[in-house]
Amino acid sequence: MDTSSPSVFVNAELLRMHVGKKVRAVVHVIQSDGEITTGKSTDEHQLIVKGLPHVSLMSYVEVIGIAESDQSIRAETWTNFGNTFDTQSYNQVCQLANGEFKGLFL
Amino acid sequence: MYGSEFDGSAAFSGGGFMPSQATQAPDPSFSTSKNRDSQSLLPLTVKQINEALLTSDDKSNFSIDGVDVNNVTLVGRVCNRTGRVTDVTFLLDDGTGRIECNKWVQEFVDSNEVEGILEGMYVRIHGHLKGFLGKRSLNVFSIRPITDFNEIASHFIDCIYVHLYNSRLRKLQGVGVTTQPQMPSTSTPMMGHQATSVNQLSSQYGNVGGQKNIEQMVLDFLQLPASNADEKGVHRDFIAQQLRVSVDKLMLAIQNLVEEGLIYSTTDDFHFKSTING
Repeated sequence: MDTSSPSVFVNAELLRMHVGKKVRAVVHVIQSDGEITTGKSTDEHQLIVKGLPHVSLMSYVEVIGIAESDQSIRAETWTNFGNTFDTQSYNQVCQLANGEFKGLFL
Repeated sequence: MYGSEFDGSAAFSGGGFMPSQATQAPDPSFSTSKNRDSQSLLPLTVKQINEALLTSDDKSNFSIDGVDVNNVTLVGRVCNRTGRVTDVTFLLDDGTGRIECNKWVQEFVDSNEVEGILEGMYVRIHGHLKGFLGKRSLNVFSIRPITDFNEIASHFIDCIYVHLYNSRLRKLQGVGVTTQPQMPSTSTPMMGHQATSVNQLSSQYGNVGGQKNIEQMVLDFLQLPASNADEKGVHRDFIAQQLRVSVDKLMLAIQNLVEEGLIYSTTDDFHFKSTING
């Protein structure tokens, strides 16, 4: 497992800028069938996460992995953030980390 | 009653001699022996630490955004954890980079604390930044697992805020000093070495954009020789009229300037003078 490279905070909109690179995103799990997990990103778009174990529906999961396309991530590690999560703040951090304050993150 | 009128904590919270609550070191035992500057606690990203400048004369001192870095707080995941009897080492990965951390286990409390820390876990650490032979590492004072994951986002917001704050302060100093050596920001949170609590900051500088400019305008205006001619100073309505700002906005700016000790009210609450020229 390679975690040496930085993993960028992304939402669905920012994901397309990082295809092929390491990213981190929080998804609200809608569907999970073992291989493919579908969830809602912090900016309310649908994301597909591959390689997650079965996770409970409606939980928030942070996924760190490689951005395979503009709407899918291959997970390397994941953390269950529980059932309540402030997606708005996280989404703001994604935007700041890719925008004005990129220098602190990338 | 006297006691009810005087709110000590509010009166002194900006005083510079009292570390604000958010910056207080988590464990008093290590802070007592050090001077006040090194007690400050900066929220940082690993990327910032890796890019921090070494202040040349002393090989162990770092500087970020012009502020000396000693104690830092970080949030990230624990990787490559190695536990020994005397200490625990691990890499902290916050998504912006990785840094080696070391926690000495001296007492029973310490070993309890580190045993709960597992590989892959999100943790908040407080520690001292060290540089040795070009390698940066953290000497960890406190490490605790994160239970509310909103803390991750809020930590990075803190980092952004403190960065903005410290870098803006420097810019301000560059511009404003010509008229006054000690700079508008003599009010303490600005002394740079202290990472002040975010609440405190946002109340004063949440309005950085617009309000700040009005403050500068008022200050400039009150420093004009014409404004100093009259002992009584200048009436607020006249300032508002001259600067073409609403009295409400003006009073906000004036209030801030008064709090910072840059201007004062004279014969009544409506006349103001600059403290600089007399």
